[in-house]
Amino acid sequence: MNRKYEIGFVINPEANEEEIKKIIDSIVEIIKKANGTIENIDEWGRRRLAYTVKKHNEGFYVFINVEAIGSTFVEIERRLKLHEKVMRFVVLRLDDKLKKANRLTRKWKRIERMSKRNVESEPDDEIINDDDDGKED
Amino acid sequence: MKNNQVPQENTSPGKFPKKFYFSRRKYCTFCKDKIKLIDYKNYKVLENFILETGKILPARVTGTCNFHQKQLSKAIKRSRHMALLKFIEPKRG
Repeated sequence: MNRKYEIGFVINPEANEEEIKKIIDSIVEIIKKANGTIENIDEWGRRRLAYTVKKHNEGFYVFINVEAIGSTFVEIERRLKLHEKVMRFVVLRLDDKLKKANRLTRKWKRIERMSKRNVESEPDDEIINDDDDGKED
Repeated sequence: MKNNQVPQENTSPGKFPKKFYFSRRKYCTFCKDKIKLIDYKNYKVLENFILETGKILPARVTGTCNFHQKQLSKAIKRSRHMALLKFIEPKRG
């Protein structure tokens, strides 16, 4: 079963372009060995961090969308954890969350129906306003 | 005791509560835009749901639905981990 995952990590700003390429290529190799597919690689480049991490104010952001077997990500996580130049990383599974989120489409349809009913019953507002003015007195 | 009796009369007759018409109704902004998954990378959207100090705003203030509020709190925590958003800071002055 191939599953959709998202990998994101922040690389130390002191790293060269070669070192950044090496890290990305090492992940790509692992995925290709497991017959996975890479959907896209998103490089944000150098960005200011919201707070200092290991005395650095900047970081190199990379995000990769992958479709592969779940067991390959154990190895990717281990690599990222051991790598010195990787400051932070997140590995997320997306497909199961998308399934849950598909429930929302039913809910939205219901809300659309309700909103149409409420528009029809607008004139009720005036009557209710009159009632409450009387009670305040 | 008279004060106590008045609100009971307000609530009893209508099937729908009457407050519904008086308070401007809050709505879930994610349901409005039909967003299914909240992305932790999209930190500019998440900034609208935290205070200046970095605290996550409760759903009763922002009006987000339960499903999205759960996702939102996780997305904010992930983006904090990735240094896209700051952690909670104490108030200055």
